[in-house]
Amino acid sequence: MKHLLLILIYKGLMPLFLKLIGVKITPKKPLQPNAQYIIVANHNSHIDTMALMSSIPVKDLNRTHPVAAATYFGKNSWLAVLSKLFVNTILIKRSEEGGESTALDVLGKFLSKGHSLIIFPEGSRGEPEKMQAFRKGIGVLLQRNPHIPYIPVYIQGTGKILPKGERLIVPYDALVHFGQPTFCEAQTVEAIVAEVETAILRLKD
Amino acid sequence: MLSVKNLSEIQQMILVILGVLVFASTLFWIWKKIKPSPQVDELVTRTKSWWVMASIFTTAAVVHPAVSFIAFGLLSFAALRELSSISKNFRTEDRSVIFWAYLAIPVQYFFAYMGWFAPFVVFIPVFMFTWIPFVLVLKGHTQDIARSMSVIPTHLMLTVFSISHLAYLLSLPELKDFAAGGRGLLLFVVFLTEMNDVFQFTWGKLLGRHKIIEKISPNKTWEGFIGGLLSTVGAALLLRFLTPFNTIEALGAGLVIACMGFVGDIIVSAIKRDFGLKDTGTAIKGHGGILDRIDSLAISAPFFFYYVYLLHIAK
Repeated sequence: MKHLLLILIYKGLMPLFLKLIGVKITPKKPLQPNAQYIIVANHNSHIDTMALMSSIPVKDLNRTHPVAAATYFGKNSWLAVLSKLFVNTILIKRSEEGGESTALDVLGKFLSKGHSLIIFPEGSRGEPEKMQAFRKGIGVLLQRNPHIPYIPVYIQGTGKILPKGERLIVPYDALVHFGQPTFCEAQTVEAIVAEVETAILRLKD
Repeated sequence: MLSVKNLSEIQQMILVILGVLVFASTLFWIWKKIKPSPQVDELVTRTKSWWVMASIFTTAAVVHPAVSFIAFGLLSFAALRELSSISKNFRTEDRSVIFWAYLAIPVQYFFAYMGWFAPFVVFIPVFMFTWIPFVLVLKGHTQDIARSMSVIPTHLMLTVFSISHLAYLLSLPELKDFAAGGRGLLLFVVFLTEMNDVFQFTWGKLLGRHKIIEKISPNKTWEGFIGGLLSTVGAALLLRFLTPFNTIEALGAGLVIACMGFVGDIIVSAIKRDFGLKDTGTAIKGHGGILDRIDSLAISAPFFFYYVYLLHIAK
């Protein structure tokens, strides 16, 4: 039932809407079906999540979860329910709220079930077109799960469509650039984070 | 037996367009086989985009009029989106005002669809040109406000006001003894504007020596411009059957389209240079962005429209 809802949104309405407001996804079919991965992207706008979810193959929509902060989306219970239902989100506590270890355990459980994750390591959307320092959670996850590849994604321009703190959506030509599934080479958490960050920035041009 | 005489003017015109495209495609295909060069590749990708353009405009001209108005509205929308995305002239607080500019599109095309001439003509140059500065003022930031006040209306002019005249051609009242109607005029101005680009390009490549305005558009030469102008006037005389024009009027229409197409072309070229871009986007392969394809039309369409209007409607 939930799968059907997700298909209706991300294979029906959302692609049309994204096309209209000017979001382009390259390559056109960036992901193989039935694969497991962690999508790692820079983050400027709620549009990012919508664009990434729309790129997921139909079969895998149900078992792909954007990871979001409980403090933002769990502010009130109806927002939490809506984001779980319509966006398939996993809500976790941010590290500064002392949620680091439990959050990583929760995500680890989803990964061991074969599910895929969408992670924005900047932690929040920040100012348009500016990348903030990556948090290290992504490093820990990839270190614990060396059999799962990460997919770097560079997103450009969505902060102009719907910046943080705004409600009005204004059309703008934005680009979502997918990289290849990659198994990380680095060993330490910090080195993995740096590797992922470089992989994303390399897609910029 | 199907004979050309039994076909309507519109059907004849579609055959003409199809013929030109098939001819061009075959020519470049053979040329590429015999003597491959990057220039031929450029021409081949260009013809591919002409096929796309031709199908869009032909479909728009033959299906239900409402569909054409929506198609032209979307074209304006995509062009405006492209122009405001490449622009360097916006401040962050202009976001919501740009949104107003987008809202003007359905209104303008609604007036065009209804054939309400006065609202259609004054809505953007009088109402929007006041409304946009007014909402900008309400935002309360005067730093660089004059720039935003001029940039947003100019974008509306280039992408919405101009292209909506193509749509309004379909709403013109019927003329006596003139069967092709607005659809004929639409095909006439679009086809000739596109052909004028091609003629100027070809004559420029063949004979071009004297540059017209090198700093803006290094490929534009007097030879190309004059060759294009004469060819376009010739084509206008041949396609007179699509219009209510007599010979002199058709000649004048060719002149208007060739000159104003050129003006539109270099205006958009200059804007692109300001933003440090060669092509404004990648929507139609080989043709740069949408704006690159409608640059000549953006100026030739309204001028052609009022040419027809003053000669045949306003009497």
